[in-house]
Amino acid sequence: MGLLNFTREPVPEAVSGDMHNLNQLSAQQFSALTEVLFRFLTEPKEVERFLTQLSDFAAMNKISLGPLKNIVKSILLVPNGALKRNLSSEQVRADFIALGLSEEKASYFAEQWKVNSPTLTRLAVGQTLMINQLIDMEWKFGVTAGSSELEKVGSIFLQLKLVIKKGSQLENVYVELTLPQFYSFLHEMERVKTSLESFS
Amino acid sequence: MAALRDGDFAALQILLKAPSKEAVRQLCQECFSSPPGALGPLAQRACPGLAISAEEAEQLVSALHNLTRHVVYRGLTRAEDILCLFPENFHQNLKNLLTKIILENISAWRNEAQASQISLPRLVDMDWRVDIKTSSDSIVRMAVPTCLLQLKIQEDAALCGNNPVVSALTMELSKETLDTMLEGLGRIRDQLSAVANK
Repeated sequence: MGLLNFTREPVPEAVSGDMHNLNQLSAQQFSALTEVLFRFLTEPKEVERFLTQLSDFAAMNKISLGPLKNIVKSILLVPNGALKRNLSSEQVRADFIALGLSEEKASYFAEQWKVNSPTLTRLAVGQTLMINQLIDMEWKFGVTAGSSELEKVGSIFLQLKLVIKKGSQLENVYVELTLPQFYSFLHEMERVKTSLESFS
Repeated sequence: MAALRDGDFAALQILLKAPSKEAVRQLCQECFSSPPGALGPLAQRACPGLAISAEEAEQLVSALHNLTRHVVYRGLTRAEDILCLFPENFHQNLKNLLTKIILENISAWRNEAQASQISLPRLVDMDWRVDIKTSSDSIVRMAVPTCLLQLKIQEDAALCGNNPVVSALTMELSKETLDTMLEGLGRIRDQLSAVANK
């Protein structure tokens, strides 16, 4: 086996056996299995649903669940590595062929990879470390009618509640702004947006 | 905020012993700015300059504090309104002097009152920077812009007195979060202009 794109480490021995078994599936079966896999990759939290769909597939196609799970584990090695290394669909196809999958099935999988990769990339970026991420912002503004020092005030105040994720906990931060501060804040945030857009 | 008491105007006449108009002006300003709790020490400091007893000083300082704060509370801006606060038999020249001093300081005092009123922690400063994330353990190569925003927040002025506690909060915003935030801020701006145009 030549150099693979999706990994630098040696591939487990079971993989070629699993690829051989995959080749025995009909095109229709392979397409159904691929669909189940990509649905899981794009929604990685839906583990229960994934396992249910796998056992349904096993039952419908008279395959034992155990070996099926091993096959799925082997297949998933490629998209996970490909995602990390920003591989193109040609590279994914080449890797599957190098592992022993038939050309037809490899091309099909690579095609599905191309379709799904924007979503998958976005997911991976979303998992990237963020420090004190701003989760939510609530606001209210009103008029100060009076105080213990001033009977009639009539000044506008703006209150923001920022929800920050610190580690695994959420923290609420309350801030009050005067009107000039608000306009200045808005102006600065618009400058940030312009800056972010020029780098996208 | 203390209300004007009957004995206050009697106490104010002690000011007739003041060495100069400037001294009266100075005392008025100190009495307004001082919180009720600090009036005692202020009275002690005023004693020697006015050649009065400690008790008289306390009454005077308290009366001036009440008078100035009352005017600011009511938002009185006209000389006539302030003049009518004084009783009939109050010393004419002193009455005019005090009214003049109060009118000179009223807007500065009003701002001072507003600046020290209770509020949620206040924003004092904000800074930002834009970073490009180029690599992480989940993707080896990427170019994702992200914003770091630092807000400097000061705790309630009344709690901290002269040593305000300023904390710095740094947070990260993705482009999507920033867009959502700007949408919210835009809505605030629209509502504010709707209110202003009414």
